[in-house]
Amino acid sequence: MSNKSTPCNDYQISRRTMLSNTMLGAAAGTFLGMPVKSLLANAGVDHKPKCEHVILFWCGGGMSHLDTWDPKPGRPTQGEFSPIKSTVPGMQITQIFPRLSQQLHNVALIRSIAGTNGAHGRATYQLLTSYNQVAGLLLHPGIGSIVSHEKPRLGDLPAYISITGQAPRAGYLGQKCESYFVGRPGEPDPYLAFPQGITKVRGNKRLELLAKYNAKNRAARPASEFAATEQSIEDATSLMRSPALKAFEVDKVDPETLGRYGDTDFGRGALLARRLVEKGVRFVQINRGGFDTHGNNFPAMENHGAVMDPALTSLIEDLDVRGMLDTTMVIVLSEFGRTPRINNNAGRDHHAPCFSCLMAGGGIAKGAVVGASDIDGVQPADRPVKVPDIHATICHAMGINHRKRVMTPLDRKLKLVDGGKPVMELFT
Amino acid sequence: MRLTTLLVIAAVISGLASFTKAANQVDRLLASENKGKKIQVAPVINDWAFMRRAYVDLIGRIPRDSEIRQYMKWPASDRRTKLVDTLVQHDRFAERWTVFFADMLRIRSNRTGGNSLLAFVNKSIKEGMSYDELAGRLISANGKAGSTPEVGWILGDDADPMALAGATAQIFLGKRMSCAQCHDHPFDKWTQEEFYNLAAFFGKTRRVESSFGRRMVYTTESKESSVLWPPELDAENRKPRKPAFPYEVKEDVNDHHVKQLALLRDKEARKKTITETDPDKLVEDVLGDIDSRANKGTLGVDTSDSVLNIATAAKEESRKLKFEQELYMASELRGNLAKWITSPHNKQFARAFVNRVWGELMGSGFVNPLDDFTETNIPSHPKTLDYISAEFVASGFDLRSLLKTIIASDAYQRSHLAGADKNVRIESESAFVASRSRRMISEVMYDSIVIAGHLEQAKHLKGENVRTVYDRVRVRLEGSGEDVPVEPTPIPTPAAQPNMTMAKKADLGVPTGYDLEKTIELDFNKALMADEEAPKVEMLMVKSKEQIEAERMAATPVRRTYKYTYKTVPRTFDDNPSYNSSMRMATPAPRPHFLRVFGQPSREGLGEFRNQQSSMRQALMMINGKMIHEASRVGKLEPMYRLITGRTKNIDKAITLAYREILSREPNAEETRDAKELLAAADSELDGMADLRWVLLNCHEFKFLP
Repeated sequence: MSNKSTPCNDYQISRRTMLSNTMLGAAAGTFLGMPVKSLLANAGVDHKPKCEHVILFWCGGGMSHLDTWDPKPGRPTQGEFSPIKSTVPGMQITQIFPRLSQQLHNVALIRSIAGTNGAHGRATYQLLTSYNQVAGLLLHPGIGSIVSHEKPRLGDLPAYISITGQAPRAGYLGQKCESYFVGRPGEPDPYLAFPQGITKVRGNKRLELLAKYNAKNRAARPASEFAATEQSIEDATSLMRSPALKAFEVDKVDPETLGRYGDTDFGRGALLARRLVEKGVRFVQINRGGFDTHGNNFPAMENHGAVMDPALTSLIEDLDVRGMLDTTMVIVLSEFGRTPRINNNAGRDHHAPCFSCLMAGGGIAKGAVVGASDIDGVQPADRPVKVPDIHATICHAMGINHRKRVMTPLDRKLKLVDGGKPVMELFT
Repeated sequence: MRLTTLLVIAAVISGLASFTKAANQVDRLLASENKGKKIQVAPVINDWAFMRRAYVDLIGRIPRDSEIRQYMKWPASDRRTKLVDTLVQHDRFAERWTVFFADMLRIRSNRTGGNSLLAFVNKSIKEGMSYDELAGRLISANGKAGSTPEVGWILGDDADPMALAGATAQIFLGKRMSCAQCHDHPFDKWTQEEFYNLAAFFGKTRRVESSFGRRMVYTTESKESSVLWPPELDAENRKPRKPAFPYEVKEDVNDHHVKQLALLRDKEARKKTITETDPDKLVEDVLGDIDSRANKGTLGVDTSDSVLNIATAAKEESRKLKFEQELYMASELRGNLAKWITSPHNKQFARAFVNRVWGELMGSGFVNPLDDFTETNIPSHPKTLDYISAEFVASGFDLRSLLKTIIASDAYQRSHLAGADKNVRIESESAFVASRSRRMISEVMYDSIVIAGHLEQAKHLKGENVRTVYDRVRVRLEGSGEDVPVEPTPIPTPAAQPNMTMAKKADLGVPTGYDLEKTIELDFNKALMADEEAPKVEMLMVKSKEQIEAERMAATPVRRTYKYTYKTVPRTFDDNPSYNSSMRMATPAPRPHFLRVFGQPSREGLGEFRNQQSSMRQALMMINGKMIHEASRVGKLEPMYRLITGRTKNIDKAITLAYREILSREPNAEETRDAKELLAAADSELDGMADLRWVLLNCHEFKFLP
């Protein structure tokens, strides 16, 4: 939680960037009529990282920026949705998020992500790792693995948990930084309890016996070889016995709360994420697919809104009420945006050059909009944000030195994040 | 259906003595190269331990009790060589070594032609195809995914010249040249220009997708090379790069081993049983050939009612023959590259492979990482490596001969150094005079649990394990307004793993729960005839998983109010499971699957080796897993049952059997006594035996090789 790990020169560079960005940011802010805070006043102040946890909502397939965080009212690219009035004057999202619009004072939007990958695989890879995929050369770690590598584990639960769907791999950060996998929120994980028919008494007796047998095995072999295995068994049993496991039982939550999050896998995922963070989990990724709307974009997005709106809003509300929003960052991220042009199937196709993301909490400026897209959402008009900047921002919020180099199988050290710079306007 | 048939190479029949001779030479060379090192030579392991190692390494599972009995009946003097000879001819030999090649070649089922390539490699190993021929085919083949299964390797990297140049150098030559793609290699002599020279061999290769009525993917040669120099996109005067080999190979006509290879190849040529398809062969001949093969059933299909179809298909095939010959024009460039790489004079080709195989059997290579030979990262025992490599060349690049030589060596048969000083131990292991700790690789561990626990077939009587489970199902509240949302129900997408029923549950992500321990076997015969099957699956792959999902989202009427209720629905079933071998599963397995959790690589990145470290997830899967639980329980249909109950009850024998079946050895007096106590203290002796077996399956001794 100190800045020790971040070398000063990072700050010098980012200060300079900030100054130049501030001008643009101010212009954009005025244009959109949002309150612009003085970035200059903060430029000399060392950043105190507040963020301890991250909840990342991953929208697989490429979520339309125009139908969510970056509406274009009155333009032919607008589509079927209108902007909706929010709690921040001038900060608009579309009508498919009626409840979330009432939480925008807790939220920041980036509307000028300048992506470079328009294919699912490569875009997913970069948005989650910051690195471009180099075919067959090396696996870069996902941002969740980076966080669990850099931040000490808190509590009994694994530091990095992914819910429904696959999180990126840990790559060269090693097996310890792989995500712990939850198939379906609320569905009990059979591997956290003894098999059916084995009572706790009998299961524990087996474990005792196993420890004895392993001790004998150890005597016959160089001791160090088995230590790691025994440690993993200890870790496993302490997890099995941990009261923190109750956090997983979202199916037992009262119906009122479940209803508030929207009783969907996504809603339950959001609720589970909150409960996990409360138990110390550092990074939770919730995956949702179905954003690849080449056809019938609008009904699909309306459905997505109906599922996401209650989940995201309730999560932000609950974190806020519990005083956890300052230490927990919520991010909604996708592969790329969708084409402003609506195709013949009433769909939108892949669009990487400009898209948006939502961030809230963990020290992220409240009610801020960073960057802007042009009049039709085709290109960034202002303050283009590179993809690795997002990862650098997450690291910065957590006090992780994103330029730290780690050894890779190429016998070459690589930075945790591929050269990004934190989006400093988000820390004002 | 393929007209090109595989060469069946007669197995190299050599006396046992020759392998022992070669192995002795390996040990002599190792000893001479170890001179002056502070090492302690560990004794050679006993017959029991050797048996377990050989089973695990050669056929990828531990021995059954009956196999132990047979082995112990053989005279002690030639027990070990006899076992190795038996195992290299075992049905499972090709299964186990397909896993090795799948790791090395990065075979992925979800790539076009991936499953056919897997099946092809399996068949090549089974039939003893020489390694130089296998590598040569992979590098040079052109054709349609599925019907020319070799092209699966080129398609695995989307026929991208840069990726293929990197992969070729690293996989077949143990040279990591990929870094030079972007800059001159920092730690080695490779320049970017040299990398481009190598990539230029792949420059004309194209991946083509066409749809003559149905989608198919094939590789072919174009006239223009796509590898241009200089590499900067905006540079002026970019010209196609002329291919050139990265280093010079000196031909030594007096090389003893190369001469031996030449003699062997002459002999083989005379013995060749099946000829390759002659391009000028008359269509009628081809048809006749296919008909006769179909009648004999050598195409691996149910011939009784498919002969007609085959004949029709063959006619169609033959009509396309001429056309396809042009379409799949062999790559001259890659042909030359293959010849250069696999030449017996190109020592690095054999060396790189031998180092990998040595590493697989010993837990560490002469060069580590196994595919990283550089001027500064040189072999720890260069003479030993060169000798084994030369012998490998002389054997006709024969995998079985190579394995026999290594396994017959004392180096392979060393025990562990217990109690030695740590530094001495590490030094001794690096000198290959003491055995490293090796954990069974995931597929082997999986199959060994299946064998030890008699899980290949149901082991309980029908109806003995009827259980009722209560599924909590979310149902829509009837009449709760017209605005009732429906979370779309997942539909199976065949995209990722077409032949795995598990994929049905995996459409939105991955399988969960106990499905993570199940395996579904691919049909390798079908994969090799993939023409009929694959396009249908591939058709569906045109849409992305996300797109299919998005369409379903759109189709779901927009609704706003949420009203659900939960119902508990009972489901009754006979919980009497059986488990397949994991070796033919679609590869790689889904990420949270048992196989991946225990280290199966993703097979995406080059130089990605198995991670054999232990993790908490592994421990959870072992302690609480269904498979281990079922393996431990005693079934009425397995031999153990009769030793615990009824007239034939004999607890001593039962304990001995448990040790033999799980640890491939007999218990000592103390262990028997402990186990008896354990059984006596349990609620029933059957329960006690289940506890004992559970402990034995979970202990270090089971997971790590003796």
